[in-house]
Amino acid sequence: MARRSVLTPALIVIVGFLTISPVLMLVAGSFSEGFGTFHGFTAAKYVEAYTDPELSAILLDTAIFTLGSAAVATLLALFLAYVNTRTDIPFKFFFGIISIIPMMIPHILFSVSWVLLLNPSNGILNRYLMGLFGLKEALFNIYSLPGMILVEGLLDLPIAYLILAPAMSAFDVSLEESSRACGANTFRTLTRVTLPVLRPAIAASVILVIVKSLASFAVPSVIGTPGRIYVLATHIYRIIATGFSPDYGKAAAVGMSALVASILLVYLYRYLTSESDRYVTISSRGFKPVLLELKRSKYPLLGLIGLLSFVLIVVPVMVLLYTSMLPYIMVPDAKAFSLMSWKNWWEVLRDPISLLALKNSLMLGVVGATLGVILSIFVSYVIVKVRTAAAGILESLSFLSFSFPGIVIGVGFMWFFVRTPLYATIWALLIGYVAAYLPYGIRPLSSAFVQIHSHLEESSKVCGAGPFTTLRRIVIPLLIPGIVSGWILMATMFLRELTLSVVLSRPGTEVLAVQILRFAEDGLWGRLSALGIIMIVISSALVAAASLLGKALTKR
Amino acid sequence: MEIRIKGLTRDYYSEGKRIRALDNIDLTIPANRIFTLLGPSGCGKTTLLRCIVGLETPDAGEIAIGDEIVWSTEKGIFVPPEKRGLGMVFQTYAIWPHMTVFENVAYPLRCRNMSMEEIRTRVARFLEFVQLDGFENRPATKLSGGQQQRVALARALVAEPKVILFDEPLSNLDAKLREETRKELRRFLTGLNITAVYVTHDRVEALALSDLIAIMRAGRIVEVGDPKQIYFRSGDRFVADFIGRANLINGKVAALEGSHAVIETNIGAIVGLNPQGIEPGTEAMLCVRPEFIKTEATGAAGGRNLFRGKIETLLFIGEAYEGEVRIGDTLVTTTISPTVDVVEGGEIFLSFDTDHCFLLPA
Repeated sequence: MARRSVLTPALIVIVGFLTISPVLMLVAGSFSEGFGTFHGFTAAKYVEAYTDPELSAILLDTAIFTLGSAAVATLLALFLAYVNTRTDIPFKFFFGIISIIPMMIPHILFSVSWVLLLNPSNGILNRYLMGLFGLKEALFNIYSLPGMILVEGLLDLPIAYLILAPAMSAFDVSLEESSRACGANTFRTLTRVTLPVLRPAIAASVILVIVKSLASFAVPSVIGTPGRIYVLATHIYRIIATGFSPDYGKAAAVGMSALVASILLVYLYRYLTSESDRYVTISSRGFKPVLLELKRSKYPLLGLIGLLSFVLIVVPVMVLLYTSMLPYIMVPDAKAFSLMSWKNWWEVLRDPISLLALKNSLMLGVVGATLGVILSIFVSYVIVKVRTAAAGILESLSFLSFSFPGIVIGVGFMWFFVRTPLYATIWALLIGYVAAYLPYGIRPLSSAFVQIHSHLEESSKVCGAGPFTTLRRIVIPLLIPGIVSGWILMATMFLRELTLSVVLSRPGTEVLAVQILRFAEDGLWGRLSALGIIMIVISSALVAAASLLGKALTKR
Repeated sequence: MEIRIKGLTRDYYSEGKRIRALDNIDLTIPANRIFTLLGPSGCGKTTLLRCIVGLETPDAGEIAIGDEIVWSTEKGIFVPPEKRGLGMVFQTYAIWPHMTVFENVAYPLRCRNMSMEEIRTRVARFLEFVQLDGFENRPATKLSGGQQQRVALARALVAEPKVILFDEPLSNLDAKLREETRKELRRFLTGLNITAVYVTHDRVEALALSDLIAIMRAGRIVEVGDPKQIYFRSGDRFVADFIGRANLINGKVAALEGSHAVIETNIGAIVGLNPQGIEPGTEAMLCVRPEFIKTEATGAAGGRNLFRGKIETLLFIGEAYEGEVRIGDTLVTTTISPTVDVVEGGEIFLSFDTDHCFLLPA
């Protein structure tokens, strides 16, 4: 009892420090004159930031980019979810695969692979098509808003799918059946009944993808920047990372609008998802929806979905693998294959900065995820099992960082760390990572805690087991799946972290994703690809090791 | 083992308001009987059970199991649940999903540091007892609801406790399985030398299963008695109404006739049992259950407790009609044999069985 009363406030202090302090520092920083000093309140940075003649174009591009990505991701997800839950299409496991890709391929590598395929000067696919049709100019230019929207939309597809697929499968089919019985045909039923009932889920998906693409840095920096298309995230990055004097005050002032927009959108999302209870149509009786028979369109549809999974999973890895063996980007032909070598791999493995980045990222992934999961265990325990008013505060605090765009929060942390000995150390990155990704650890763990019904513990006590035995034999074994999936999620996120790192990483604390970005900026595609493949392999190895460990632990 | 409870009080605080879950309860649960705590939801029956097990701590009072005091606010004694040596079956069964059937049942024995050999023979014996032999290596979650319930029972019994407690163990089963399991449970428990405390809100379950029933309401125990006593001779209006369908008719006791009494009511004089010995001249209430109201086609036979009424509603439910008959201003619920020729709106004569209707204090 006494321990609990200390635990909740202690966690509120820790989580509050992690999530609130960067925001407070961001606000303070945006009103300060110089970096690292808070002397003299001034609104000069706001004036400077918001009278920038370029800003209106940047805001417009940001709006087009985020809304476009939301449309692409949501429409694709709607189509996939409908085909999966409501038709008799074979090979339904494809859909599961599509929903976990972001776990496997880091966004920056996915963006790079599209640059390698479709950039206007030497994109592999562009070159190939030019040769095929005898064209003088490239057919596609990935360095454009549509290019950015396409790639971001594909990357955010799983988020939209994970919202829409459960909504679609929980849909009470009798609503549609009664529409059919009233004389409406399939199409009319779809547009007048199905889609309107799914409206809250569709809106939630659109908003969440807007939040994600607003925070996205990989696509705007790898695809947008070469085409001189700037969105808020890359605009902030430009202010702090290029030119002679990085202006963290102006960056903070610009970041405030991204932060406010993001928080408002997440609030709207929360409102809509709670509102959607009104629309809940799932009924407890076991119903089996009548599957739409696809007949002749079955195989074309299957082909389309196969192509999509191919484009999403196989193409990026293949392009990277192929490029890593070549001295420069070229169309696959006899000459290209004759030039293949391991040269890029050797160069990466001998490059001290790449090796340092590898070491740092590995350390951040393993140590960061471990610390993050430990914190998540305590926070989830308080949220799920203690359930006091203070626990409610902790819950809101710990999910706050979900709505913070990474680069903005990075600028906030920069203002915080600059006056501390943590500045430019790997610990600064570690703290930032745990703060920004805490919701990803808390979610699987709190659902694990929810599953441990209090009767399971009580029953153990009545059987004669003391508190320690109950913890060891009952609680921890039941928590292990949650711990493992939380750890995997955090470790893979940390291993490929880019948006916070581009701000917080300094010479000596390079990490993998930042090093890959440097290679992209310098056009060193071969080395980039080699390092990228190494990153994917390490990430997959971590996932495999963690799940094996989890299996071994639950066996006992 | 006998359980003695003295002055047990437990308060809850909800939204700043104090709710008294247990209100100064005194109760003795006799050894080696099936004792049921019956009451509507929120009456405190589960709280009382959890106080006996030790999963909740009372605010005041004393609990003794056998010769050992396990809780006393005055003497500052609290024996934790794991030291009380009881068995319990939870409403959710609380079968540990990460263990096999064997591991679940062996758990209490492992906690008592028994040898592996003894654990094996004991688990085998109790799995056989609940008819689950051969299920040892099944993952516990792969069992049906009824089987999980029996695993929970085996686990509660395996350490041979002197007291076993049940918290609404049948409420998660479907109606048919519930009836079967009820019979089985009764058979299992009467075969053992064990005190069983059983919590339920289902009156049929309580009647069918128990040696003794305690009826609870708003944190207090209203009445304790064996099933027949509670059903036929209850001294409390709430209990009489809760334990079965009942017509309650107000009146004044007119005269005593041995173990019977005459009560003067709105519909006339009625003769019924007077188990509480209510004195003539006092306000009282007559309780007559629908199944002890007989129908007569004509009033020709005459005699006592015979009334003429009009059938207001008539529902055919298969084995009988359920009728509401208006006698004067009083509406009486009755079951009518489906062979009787009756119609809604028709006239009917009802006679109350003098030995199966009884007087209650008003």
